[in-house]
This record gives sequence, structure tokens and C-alpha cells, in this order.
Amino acid sequence: MNAFAFTRADSVAGALRAAGGDAKFVAGGTTLVDLMKLGVENPTTVIDISRMPLAGVSRMPDNGLQIGALARNADVAHHPDVVNGYPVLSQALLAGASAQLRNMATTGGNLLQRTRCVAFRDTAMACNKRSPGSGCAAIGGFNRNLAILGTSDRCIASHPSDQNVALTALEATVQISGPKGERSVPIGDFYLLPGDTPERETVLEPGELVTSVTVPPPAPGAKSAYLKLRDRASYEFALASAAVVAIVRGGTIERVRIAMGGIGTKPWRNLEAEAALHGKPATAEQFAKAAQIVLSDAKPQSQNGFKVELAKRCLIAALTTVTQGA
Amino acid sequence: MASSVLGQALPRIDGPLKVSGSAEYTTDRIFENMVYAVPIGSTIANGRIAALDASQARAMPGVIEVFHRGNVGELYKASPKAGMIDETRPPLADDVIRYYGQYVALVVAETFEQATAAASCVKVTYAGVDAPNVALELSADDEPNEVDRRGDPAAAYEASPVKVDQTYVTPAETHNPIELHATVATYDGEQFTLYETTQSVFNHRNVMSEILGVPRENVRVIVKFLGSGFGGKLWPWPHDALAAAAARELRRPVKLVVTRKQMFETVGHRPRTQQRVRLSADRDGTLTSLRHESINDAGMLDEYDENCGEATPYLYGTPNLLVTSAQTRRNIGPPTAMRGPGAVPGLFATESAYDELALALDMDPVQLRLRNEPTRDQGLDIPFSSRHYVECLTLGSEKFGWSERSRAVGSMRKDGVILGWGVSGCSWLAARFDAEARVELLADGSARVAMGTQDIGTGTYTVLAQLVAEATGIPHERVVVELGDSRLPPGPTSGGSMVTASVIPAVLGAAREAMKSAIELATSGPQAPFAGRDAGDLRFAGGRIVARRGGKGVPFDAALRKASVSRVSGSGKGQRTFGQEHPKYSIHSYGAQFVEVAWQPEIARLRVNRVVTVIDAGRMINPRLARNQVEGSVVMGVGMALFEETRYDPRSGAPVNSNLADYVVATHADAPHIDVTFLDYPDTELNELGARGVGEIGLAGIASAIAAAVYHATGVRVRTLPIEIEKLLSA
Amino acid sequence: MSSQAFVSEAVAPTAPANAQPPATAPKVVEVVFTVNGNRLALVVDPRATLLDTLRETLGLTGTKKGCDHGQCGACTVHVNGRRVNSCLSFAAMHDGDEVTTIEGLGTPENLHPMQAAFVEHDGYQCGYCTPGQIMSAAALLSEPCGPSNADVAESMSGNICRCGAYQNIVAAIQSVRTQG
Ligand SMILES: Cc1cc2nc3c(=O)[nH]c(=O)nc-3n(C[C@H](O)[C@H](O)[C@H](O)COP(=O)(O)OP(=O)(O)OC[C@H]3O[C@@H](n4cnc5c(N)ncnc54)[C@H](O)[C@@H]3O)c2cc1C
Ligand code: FES
Ligand code: FES
Repeated sequence: MNAFAFTRADSVAGALRAAGGDAKFVAGGTTLVDLMKLGVENPTTVIDISRMPLAGVSRMPDNGLQIGALARNADVAHHPDVVNGYPVLSQALLAGASAQLRNMATTGGNLLQRTRCVAFRDTAMACNKRSPGSGCAAIGGFNRNLAILGTSDRCIASHPSDQNVALTALEATVQISGPKGERSVPIGDFYLLPGDTPERETVLEPGELVTSVTVPPPAPGAKSAYLKLRDRASYEFALASAAVVAIVRGGTIERVRIAMGGIGTKPWRNLEAEAALHGKPATAEQFAKAAQIVLSDAKPQSQNGFKVELAKRCLIAALTTVTQGA
Repeated sequence: MASSVLGQALPRIDGPLKVSGSAEYTTDRIFENMVYAVPIGSTIANGRIAALDASQARAMPGVIEVFHRGNVGELYKASPKAGMIDETRPPLADDVIRYYGQYVALVVAETFEQATAAASCVKVTYAGVDAPNVALELSADDEPNEVDRRGDPAAAYEASPVKVDQTYVTPAETHNPIELHATVATYDGEQFTLYETTQSVFNHRNVMSEILGVPRENVRVIVKFLGSGFGGKLWPWPHDALAAAAARELRRPVKLVVTRKQMFETVGHRPRTQQRVRLSADRDGTLTSLRHESINDAGMLDEYDENCGEATPYLYGTPNLLVTSAQTRRNIGPPTAMRGPGAVPGLFATESAYDELALALDMDPVQLRLRNEPTRDQGLDIPFSSRHYVECLTLGSEKFGWSERSRAVGSMRKDGVILGWGVSGCSWLAARFDAEARVELLADGSARVAMGTQDIGTGTYTVLAQLVAEATGIPHERVVVELGDSRLPPGPTSGGSMVTASVIPAVLGAAREAMKSAIELATSGPQAPFAGRDAGDLRFAGGRIVARRGGKGVPFDAALRKASVSRVSGSGKGQRTFGQEHPKYSIHSYGAQFVEVAWQPEIARLRVNRVVTVIDAGRMINPRLARNQVEGSVVMGVGMALFEETRYDPRSGAPVNSNLADYVVATHADAPHIDVTFLDYPDTELNELGARGVGEIGLAGIASAIAAAVYHATGVRVRTLPIEIEKLLSA
Repeated sequence: MSSQAFVSEAVAPTAPANAQPPATAPKVVEVVFTVNGNRLALVVDPRATLLDTLRETLGLTGTKKGCDHGQCGACTVHVNGRRVNSCLSFAAMHDGDEVTTIEGLGTPENLHPMQAAFVEHDGYQCGYCTPGQIMSAAALLSEPCGPSNADVAESMSGNICRCGAYQNIVAAIQSVRTQG
């Protein structure tokens, strides 16, 4: 690891002042420290923001929830308002990483975690995301865990998070502070597709800080669930996952939000699939149609063709769980 | 011998040290003036080093030296008889790169952070870089080696009504003990003291002394606690020589810890195996022929024969048999033994084939195995010392509830989940290594036993204490056990599940000699408690010296104190049976594995629910430790069956999933419920207590039982491990 | 020197000579924290992880390194009473924190109930993952965790035991939980 200067910021203003150049914030450290050890991230300054007072989870006037950027994944997962109002988020968080890591990982850090693509994580391999223009060793290489949706010929890295899949289905908004002031970005606009610039993953500008994530109030009658599929039973990233939030009345789907993980270059939402379900009976047949729509554009790589079928089953099963008994 | 401590499920004597962080593992050594070494691995797999530029690294803070071929000092090849080593080329010996991650340089700095930073700044350029050969499809480089043959298997096969001809593949697996391989090396100008992560202090000393070009006496190898090894730490690897060479050049203690990534590259792996199995049978299930032909990969320079047919000639009876093995070279770091080498991948193939044969015969797979139970070892044509395979199968069936199995694929359900049941047999060799021990009886009433073997987690500390306690009657808590040092009497390698069997004659012999000395002391001299008595009239029992005719006698320590001696001691020796030319008996352990898997096709989720294992491994010295060994093997077997494969990038030759997030092993949540039963048939042909060994057998047969259960649940026969989700999606 | 002895002596930044980054190092950070009840002031290389600082600087080698990337759990310690992977944070991030390592949980002579349960239930083989397992298990006692063996297994899945002593580890934890 390269030498770097270490500073601590205890307020947003302090953090923003210290930011700039190739400085990096560190919150839980579970992504940044990992990647610095691998030589993938090489900041010359690290700004410890973990003591800033942004760890709270609180109700907003509209009854939505504001989750501080520094709220630990474990605390959010077990927060009564999350457990009761947004089970999909609680389940997604608890399906991620390990108990220890969830005690460290923060909401903001999780939003900005990087792909687990082995080519990205190994500086000896070509990777356009890490080193633009160097090529992509994952295409035709080890890509079993990588994306089948949203890829480009430059990059097929999958977005690895569970949290952000749930937040996408919940239509969360990211609150940002920066040198130019504050702004809010709907999570659907927060992540970028790799296209020709896989090194740009989000709309966050250098020096900008995520201060919180807000989720709208739970819709009356909505149910939600998160289903994660992987090789082993725990402590592993998703091969495919699905977050579903739905309102079903009298067997008819009134409203549904679907996001999928493990298969896209960003948390994957498909409005067309949601629209196709609206007003339809909550049946296996309809779910299969929706799954077909989500996966219709899939571009499998050499090792991950199975994800098309796996993701379909994942979505159908999640939809079934959420709508059962409704 | 009064049986008080043997067979008792005593807790480990080293437990309190282990649970409190006080047990000292190799990397826990910290010395005054110690420096940190970080090896640099090549980023190609086939080519040569053109240039190595360390100027920037040398100028970095704290950097002491960057070693490479030009300045590392002499490192020799160990002579063939020195001992075991799977990568014989000394590190940095030439500029040729034969596998990805091969060490090209070593950075030494004052701190670990400085050394790792500098390592990333050493610039290595390569030339003559060719595509590496890491091809998965294996075909023998040379004529296969005929391991065993009897009868005319080809003719018998042709003539038989029921046949199976399938090829099974087990992938490269990496041992991945949680303890990283490491060396802390010190050199004082003459003596090397090497703190090593080794399963064999004596082999390590003998090989390292030749690599370093010094007499054996000048090398001392120490490992007080070993974070397991599963075979990966049996023999020295290149980092051992690098650390010692750096200590020699710098005259400072050097700590070198191999990274998890480097462990996928430089400290061996279970090679990939490809095994063709051909079976034929009569309609009643009688096995008419068996052919088992296997190939494994080896490194570019050294031989490595996995010997998958290890258990094939004797496990079942058949008049016609052929077992062959072959190798093919790859640009991959050399393979090495991994838990149950040979038999574990071999039994996956042969036991899977029996399952397929049972299907072809429409016969119960347990019945098929019972039908072909031999009365003697047909491979060596000698009797079995003690074989209770049939009981393993029948008792296992009972415990598991096998009779309730409904045979049709996918026909068993519970709580909305499809269940699959599978069975497999297993077997593992039992033998002894050479071993010496010294037992001392001390004037404070305690005993001490010293032997240069290691406790790799199997419980050797505790077993030695139990043996001495058993022989002397001194409570086992009062027995101090000294292991893991090449200055102690030569003890066995922790490998092949042979430690317990090997140490028994040596420790019991040493204890007897020590007790004899105590008795003699108690009779000699006018002050002696039994002055003037004939030593032959006395015996040592319950920690006391007593007259054979009766009486209370005296505590042995009182006799020692009377004579003003601090201790009496005895030495004992046991001789190897391993590799014996003409054994009288076929000595093996046996077992049966019954597995239940749960299959949820709607989410393609497969889990192993429960495992019933019945093991025939002779007498158990400590069933608590033995059970743990078997349970741990089953867990490793779940990983082997479902998750584990080291994958090599066909373009760079790099093991690409070289970390514990991408090379997935079983977690707590993957562990099935495991029910272990030991049959208690002492095998006194092996040693007087009749103990064999249980370190490996539990892993054998697990993958084949799981594969059989998966077939039963899904209808998909997976012949290439691991059984990943994608292989089951068609079900 | 025993690690215990060192920690109780070292109230001032008197780490072993080789642990101090040399004067030429451009960047160092001061960190004042409490380790196993002892307040320590250290000057650290910002690159030093909490794990390496505990082990190499403070000599508290009970905490183990198994992967250095958050993938095994061997390095688990408590920070302010919660279990974390000490390999994935810089020591410099722990200014003001209270750190507890396996050495602070109990000693061979005076074991914590969880440590004693691991001995009783043989919740280990080689013992290398054990400090991490025990720190994890001790933290679990005060976390929301369901009552079943499966709940415990899930909550403990961040601690890999390659020896596979899982069944015994869960039994050890359950015995402590049911004893209250
Ligand atoms: C072994 C392992 C397994 C894992 N498994 C899973 C899994 O199954 N599912 C899953 O979802 N995740 C998993 N993770 C990832 C984990 O969830 C993330 O590492 C974690 O959420 C990152 O949060 P952090 O606070 O530690 O981030 P940090 O490492 O501190 O920061 C991450 C990045 O975000 C930036 N950053 C942090 N906070 C802010 C802020 N407020 N504003 C602007 N920038 C900021 C940092 O500069 C850095 O670039 C796993 C991680 C590991 C190591
Ligand atoms: S060493 Fe920290 S998780 Fe493995
Ligand atoms: S006891 Fe060896 S890794 Fe757990």
C-alpha cells in the first residue's frame, strides 16, 4: 500500500474542506481498506469520516425514513422502523457480508462499494474500470459472477451490493453535500452504466459526500421481501437476487417495484416488467412473463449464461413470496 | 493395562491456551530487531525474467534489501534422499518462469507496511512469454503407470451383461488452512532457527539444511502450534528458503508470511484428476471387472502421482482389475498431497461409478456393495487385519433410516423440499512411521513426554498425555507434553492419519523404560524404599511402586526424592510399517457415508441436511477428538462436493479465484447435522492398542455420497466436481 | 516478553524499536485508544491496520490473520463492544475507541464462559480460527439472534473454520446462551 496522509473530519463541512484531489473518505473501511491493500485504490490522503454525526436513522415529516450515511448496516437492519416498514431492506442487509462486516459497513460506504470482479481487484489484470483503456480480462476470462445486464464491450462488472438493490426497489433518494452545495439524486439516477466510461460508476463528483439516504413512506398495504441466491448458504455475494415491494388486493397486483442484484452492472430495475404486472393477477404465469421481460436483454458471458435462468427463478420466487396470501 | 484414560473423551490439554490466544503459532513470534519480508510473484506463467528494477523500491523508507537471483546467496537443491519436497528447484535459481506467482524477488523492510509498499514498486519485465498450458482436459504425457492388474478385465467387461463406463473429474483444490504459511527465520552466523508452519519438523530440518548448505545440526525447526495444513504444510516450499536466506544475509530475524493469494500459487494444491472408470457386473450384482485409469496434473519440473487408485484393488472383490495412473505437465505451481491424497478423489470416481452401476442393475446401492465384499485383500492377496466394512454399511443404513428410501428420482419430499439420499463407502490406509519418544518421570510427581512430532489440530498433545497417563497411572493433567521441535527425539510427520498409530509403540516403550528405571532406583542404595529387594518383585502401578505380592507401596516421586534425583527417563522407538515391501496383513480403515440433501428447484438451491457416518478405524484413544476429525472432514467434503475449485485463467495461467471470497469453502451455515459412530474393533496388528487413525477417512466418500444424493433428488448425475448451481438448472 | 506484560506496562508510546515507523517516513498519525482496558498512545503508520498494530506493535498475537481481506473472520475483535474484522480498518481510525482482543476476554487461568465452553465442547481443532470464533461468539450474546442452531450458524458464518469444527462451536455457543 502506498503511503498516504491520514486526517479525521468530525463534521460535513470539515470533510468537504479536507476533500479534493485524490483524497478518499473512509467510513467503515471494508471496501476502501480492502482495495488499498490490493493497490486498486491509491489515495494520497484518507479522510476518516466515521465520527461525523451522520449515523442516525430517523422518521421524516412525511413518515419516510432518513438513514444517515454513517449508519452501520447492522444497525439499519435491526432498526424497528426498518424491520417493520421496510422488511426488504432489513433482509437485504442481513443477507450481505457477515455480522462483523455489517457492524463496520455504513450506508454510504455500501452505496459506493466497488465490484467484486477479479480482474478489477487484481492490478496484474487488464481492467478498463481500474485503468481505463487497458482492456477487460473478465470478458472471456473469469466472469461466472459478473453481469449479464447493462454490460458494454468495455466492462461486464456486476454491482455487488444487496442493500442498494433493496433501496432501488424502495425508490430511495441519495442526499449529497459538495463544494457546490447540496443535492438529492433518486437512486435510479445515481448509478451509471459502464458504456465507454466504466471508471465512472455514479453521478457523485469528486469531493462530494453522501450524507444520507431517504426512503419514501411505506405504501399502505405494501409487502416486501428480498431473495438472494448464491453457492454457499452465507457470507457470499449474490449470483442473483431480487427485491420486491408490492401491493396486492383481491389477488390483483396494484403496484409493484422490482429490483435485481448480482446480474446487472448496477442495481437492476425494469419499469417495463413492473408495468406488465400492474393490474394483473398475482399468478405464476404473470411472474414468468415479468421475469422474461427483465431478462430479455441479457447478454451472457462465457461462464455466466446460467444466470439468465437463475435470475428468472429468483424473481418468480420473490414475487411469489411477497404476493402469497395477499 | 488398566484402561482408565484410554478411550475417554477428555478435553484437549492445550485447550485453555488455544481459547485464550496464548497458543503460540509461527507468525506469533516477535523478536528484537526483526524485519519483514514480502515475496514478489511473477505475473506470467510461462517465460523468463528479462529485467528486474528494484531501484525505486530500495529508495523507499524502511527498505533494507531487495533479494533476487543475484544477491540471495547460495541455495541448493536437496539431494533426493534428504527428505520430501514437492518443488525441488530452489527459489530464484534461474530466470525461467514456469508458473504464475513463482517468486522472482523478496523485499525486506523494517515494517510490514514498508515491505508491502516497496514490493509493489519492484518492476519486473518478462521476455519470451508464451501462452501457459493450464488446459483442463488432461491426457497423459507418457505411458500410464500400471498400478495393479489381475485377470482379464477387458474380456470380462465385454462378456458382462451390465456395464458402466464413465469419466469423473475432480478439480484442483487449494488446502486453505486458515493459518497462512509462514516462516520466522533467525541465523546467528552458524545456527539457523526456523519457526515454520510445518507438519513435519524433522523432514523440514533435513531438507532445509541441504537447501541452505549446512549440516543438519545447524538447523533447528520449531512449530509449537500449527494452524492446520491438510497436507499443504507437509513439505518445505520456496518461501521457507527465501526467509532463511534473508536471515542469513541480514543477520536479523526475518518474518515472512505468505499471503492468501500466494497460497493459491506457491504452496501446492490437490491436482486436477480425470478418471475413467469401467465396471461390469452380472445381473445379480457380482462385479466381474473393474478398471480405474486416472491422470493428474503435475508441475513443469517435478513428478507428482496422485495415485487415485489407492483404494481400488482391495475395497471390493472382483477377479478382473486394472488400475493405472498417469501425469501431464502444466504451467501451474507443483501439486502436493491434500487430505486423503489419492483415495479421496479416487473414491469419488469409483464410488460414483458403483452408484451408477446400482442404477443400471436396478439394485439398492448398499446391497450392491454388500454383494461384493471380499474375504481378503485381492490386490495384495493377503488377509485383512481387521475389516468391518459390512457393519459400517448396515449400521449406517439403520441409523440413517435407509430402508425408507423411495428409489425414484425426486420422489421424496419434506416441508415442500425435495430430498435426495445417497450412500458411499470409504477407506483409508493405516500404517506407522518411525517414531522415537522420551518419557521422564519427575521428582515432583509429574511426567514429561518429548517427541518431535506436531499437533496440527488432531489432538496429538492430548493423545500423548493420555498414553503416558495410561502407562504410568500418573494423572494426565500431570503429564507435560513437549512437541514441535527438531531437537526432540525424531517423531512422525503429521500426515497420512498415521501419528497416533506411530506414537503408540514409542511412547509406551519410553514410559516402560522410565518406570523400570524408577523401580530400579527404588531398590538400590540403603536409603531406598525397597532397599535390597529384587526389582523383579516390584511393579509400577497407579503412579506408585508396589510389591507384586501386595502392599501399598510408595509413590514413585517419593522414591525419586529419596534418592535425590530430579528424574528418571526412558526412551522408546517404533518402526515404520508405511511402505513395507511384503506386509502380512492388509491394514486399512473403512467407513460408510449416508447423506441427505435438500433440493429446491424453484430457486435452484441445494443444501446438505444431514450426514450419518460410521467409521471402522480401530480403537479410539480419545473419541471426542476423533469425532471432531470426522465431523471436520465431512464439512470439508461438503466444500469439495459443492463449492471448491481453483480456477486458472487460460490466458495468464493465474489462479483467478485466489481468495476466500471467490474460492468458496463451507461456512457455519453450510454445515449439515453430522452423526458419527465409531465401531470399536482394535486392530492390534498395527500396534498393541489397536488404534488406526481418523484424520482423513471422513473426507473420503463424502463427495460421492453427495453426488449420489443429488442424482436421487434431481436426476442430474454430476461427474465433474464441484456440483455448482449451473449443473443443476436443467433439473 | 509476554503480550500481557507488555500491555500493562505500556501506558506510554513505548512500542518495540522496530514497530516505530522510521523518522524518514513522511506521514505518521497519533492514536490514543484503550486495548483490553489499558489506555495506549501510539504513533502509527497510517497504513497499519488495527490487526497488524495489535499483533506486531503491541504483541497481542492472539488475534489472527487468515486472509487480510475480511474474508475469514480470524481477525475478529471487539471495538466499543461490537465485533469487527480488524484487518479491514486502519489503527488510525480507532482514536478514542475501546478495543478488546481475545487476551482481554479471559486468560488460561481465568477463562471467559465462552472460552470455557469452547474447551468443553471441543469447538476447534487447530485453534487458529478460534480467537476470532470466540470473539464473534461473545459478541453474539448481546446481538439480536434467534434461538435455533441455524440462527447461530448464520450469525457465525463470518468466521470460517477450515478444520470444520462448526457443529461443536455452535454447541459451545448454545450452552453459554442457555446458561443465561
Ligand atoms: C468479504 C466481504 C464480503 C462482503 N459481502 C457482501 C455482500 O454479500 N453483500 C453486500 O452488499 N456487500 C458485501 N460486502 C461489501 C460491504 O457491504 C461493503 O464493503 C460496505 O458496505 C462498504 O461500506 P464501508 O462503510 O465499509 O465503506 P468504505 O470502505 O469506508 O468506503 C467505500 C467507498 O465509499 C466511499 N465513501 C464512504 N462513505 C462515503 C460517504 N458518506 N460519502 C462519499 N463517499 C463515501 C469511500 O471513499 C470508498 O470509496 C462484503 C465485503 C467484504 C469485505
Ligand atoms: S484476516 Fe480479517 S477477515 Fe481474514
Ligand atoms: S480450528 Fe482450525 S480453522 Fe478452525
